[in-house]
Amino acid sequence: MSNKAGRSTLLLLALILVVAMFLSLLFGSVFMMPSKLWGSEILWQIRFPRVVLAALIGLLLSLSGVILQGILRNPLADPYVLGISAGGAVGAALSIALGAHFVLFGISSVPVSAFIFAMLAVFVVYKLSQVAGKSAPETLILAGVALSAFASAILSLIIILTGNLQTIYFWLLGSLSSASWSNVLTVIPYALVGLGIAYFFSKELNALLLGEEMAVTLGVEVEKTRTILITAASLMTAAAVSVAGLIGFVGLIIPHWIRLLIGPNHRMLIPVSALSGMLLMVLADTLSRTILSPLEIPIGIIMALVGAPFFLYLLRRRRMEGK
Amino acid sequence: MNVLEVEGLVCGYNPKKPTIKGATFSVKEGEFVGIVGPNGSGKTTLLRAIVGLLEKDQGSIVISNHRIENLTRRELARRVAFVPQLMEPVDGFTVRELVLLGRTPYFERFSFENADDHDAVSWAIEELQIEKLKDRPITELSGGEFQRVAIARALAQEPQLLMLDEPTSHLDIRYQVNICKLLKRLRNHRSIIATFHDLNLASRFCSQLILLKNGELIARGTPEEVVTPENIWKAYRIKALVKNDNEKKKTRYVLLP
Repeated sequence: MSNKAGRSTLLLLALILVVAMFLSLLFGSVFMMPSKLWGSEILWQIRFPRVVLAALIGLLLSLSGVILQGILRNPLADPYVLGISAGGAVGAALSIALGAHFVLFGISSVPVSAFIFAMLAVFVVYKLSQVAGKSAPETLILAGVALSAFASAILSLIIILTGNLQTIYFWLLGSLSSASWSNVLTVIPYALVGLGIAYFFSKELNALLLGEEMAVTLGVEVEKTRTILITAASLMTAAAVSVAGLIGFVGLIIPHWIRLLIGPNHRMLIPVSALSGMLLMVLADTLSRTILSPLEIPIGIIMALVGAPFFLYLLRRRRMEGK
Repeated sequence: MNVLEVEGLVCGYNPKKPTIKGATFSVKEGEFVGIVGPNGSGKTTLLRAIVGLLEKDQGSIVISNHRIENLTRRELARRVAFVPQLMEPVDGFTVRELVLLGRTPYFERFSFENADDHDAVSWAIEELQIEKLKDRPITELSGGEFQRVAIARALAQEPQLLMLDEPTSHLDIRYQVNICKLLKRLRNHRSIIATFHDLNLASRFCSQLILLKNGELIARGTPEEVVTPENIWKAYRIKALVKNDNEKKKTRYVLLP
């Protein structure tokens, strides 16, 4: 894809995103005419922050997916499948349950605690899946699934022991129902830093397309790059999880789709995936609010309904291709 | 000027049983050096140590007056480029995009490819005579075409030393000769080291040969000096006839009786 075509694609996507976000503002348990929207409490305090949060979470999760797939050289990698999300959720729930929920220098303790546990999860999964210095794609996924189940159990246990059963649904199914401007402010720095790191490491990710050894002979410090990028992916996942619980498959579907459409060059893959992830989450959130209105379906359910079959399809296709 | 000086190099995958047991040689600018020897003699291991994929246990590797351990990965990648025996084709890349990856050691953190990079890519594509292929998806190339693209990718690094691991092993004889001719042309202003199984090809195109056996250099010099029935017997335990082409004096043929 040439630079010019790339710029037009990005511009077009950004435009679609803005339109989708605007339309999404109109829908909810009550439909609002655009003329009545301005000045309404519902818009400013409920729907607007929610739509923005949905978009930010889409960016965080899809970029985590791009990074993990690139650095682990594994097309099935995704923060949810690898158990990073579940690990992060344990950290976030623990921080809330222990009452260690504070804001220091503008940084909330919840995503920080989520990050520590997300890193722990990714470390465990990565180490477990390595056999003789190599990480087999399917082993990595299996390790992730097992760790995910374990972390979800701990998460449920924490919630049961500390009180509110209702919140289990929030964490395990993923939901944007608690969206607020303060949540938006919590995740914005993670989104910006994550996007910056992903974008400026796109040349390393491109070199890694040739394999780790070739990347080394192209001057890439593979170990250092891996540490920085996995940390960035965990940070982004942790931020998303700490405000919206476990939303799966965004990081799997988006990079895959976009790679099929525009090719594997990370310089385009990263910004296009970011925008597409935002768009997907805004659409999924709109659906979650309207499809059974006034009942709200957690967004995680919608993503799992779409994402799990997609994941199975990918697994099957890899088997058929004998990879 | 010596582009590469290797002295007393000991390296391998097990420090107690090194694969290369003390190699000493040097490569001048403009030389095309062929490394030959039986399977398991350490040809690839020697290449991997020089491109920085394998840490040496003893000895020294000096690349245009810089000891390899004093160069950063990026600095090394600007001086030495490597074409592996089998490079993974990147699904979804065009030829030009793949060749552009060769510019990675020149990219700065906060910027992307500039005019110099585009010039280097166009030049590499021209040198390898693949202009016609440049917008084709790599997955649609034949083995011989892909090998030329892989070499163009390495050439885009503008290396002083181009290293190739068995560049002809997966190709039919037409492409074997084609690739060797291209390599021979490329050695202006740089040096080339390649491993070969085919002694005929190596002695026809290389200016210098190194014969390895069990990790030791058993002969080095011009093809006439290295490819002799005695040396072939020493290295391969094969009785061979070596014939000179009377018209083209330098060409030697190894015949197996």
